[in-house]
Amino acid sequence: MDLLRRFTLGDIDAFETLVRQIQASIYAWIVRIVRDPGVAEDLTVDTLWRMYRLRHKIRVDGNFEAWAHRIATNLAIDYLRRKKPEHSLLAEPVAAPNSDHLLAREIREKIQEAFRRLPPKLQVAATLALIEERPYDQIASALGISVGATKVRVFRAVRILRKQLSDAGITPNAESRQ
Amino acid sequence: MTDHDDQQIRKVLQQSCPPVDPTLHRDLWPRVLRKLEDPSKSRMPWYDWALVAATVLTVVAFPRLLLVFAYHL
Repeated sequence: MDLLRRFTLGDIDAFETLVRQIQASIYAWIVRIVRDPGVAEDLTVDTLWRMYRLRHKIRVDGNFEAWAHRIATNLAIDYLRRKKPEHSLLAEPVAAPNSDHLLAREIREKIQEAFRRLPPKLQVAATLALIEERPYDQIASALGISVGATKVRVFRAVRILRKQLSDAGITPNAESRQ
Repeated sequence: MTDHDDQQIRKVLQQSCPPVDPTLHRDLWPRVLRKLEDPSKSRMPWYDWALVAATVLTVVAFPRLLLVFAYHL
């Protein structure tokens, strides 16, 4: 009997093997969204726990990793909804010596604030598509929507962001500062 | 929105956002196992039971509400 089928039947050893195979991929996906290693570890544990609880719902012939990423993305979106505004999605860099040459600190803070104010679903789509440059089909699969709907979310995020930056007196041109 | 606009906002966001290390540095299986073995995590919280009870009581007391609910589905 293959590993996935044993997992769906509740075999804990099969689940352990699957966890060791997939935990790094789930963590990498979540940390790209929440941008906090500690939170990402917690959410990875929650994702794996939830996968075990929902094991009877997985189709053995389906894409296991896509299913895991969908659960992980939903948990990350829930986290972004719950978290307090002062905990930024785009936390201040610990060491980014060249970033001040690229963009002034105050402008960067305004951009981060505008990004934080995006609705979580748009924020996640924009983070994965624009910052992490993940393929649209991968993002769509993790969000459980079509590629077209994903592009709409990114488009809406960019439109809102552009408006907020414009209101703050910032032109979204990486080379120029106002 | 043009591709040029898209590229501009992409560049601005990438410059504003510190890169994250996507590498997992520890095995999370022990934590997962602890969570699986914790019976309190698999129990339904009291407020969910309260919500279920309130819903049942409301439906028993006001059965016509079901029609209103069905209408709005």
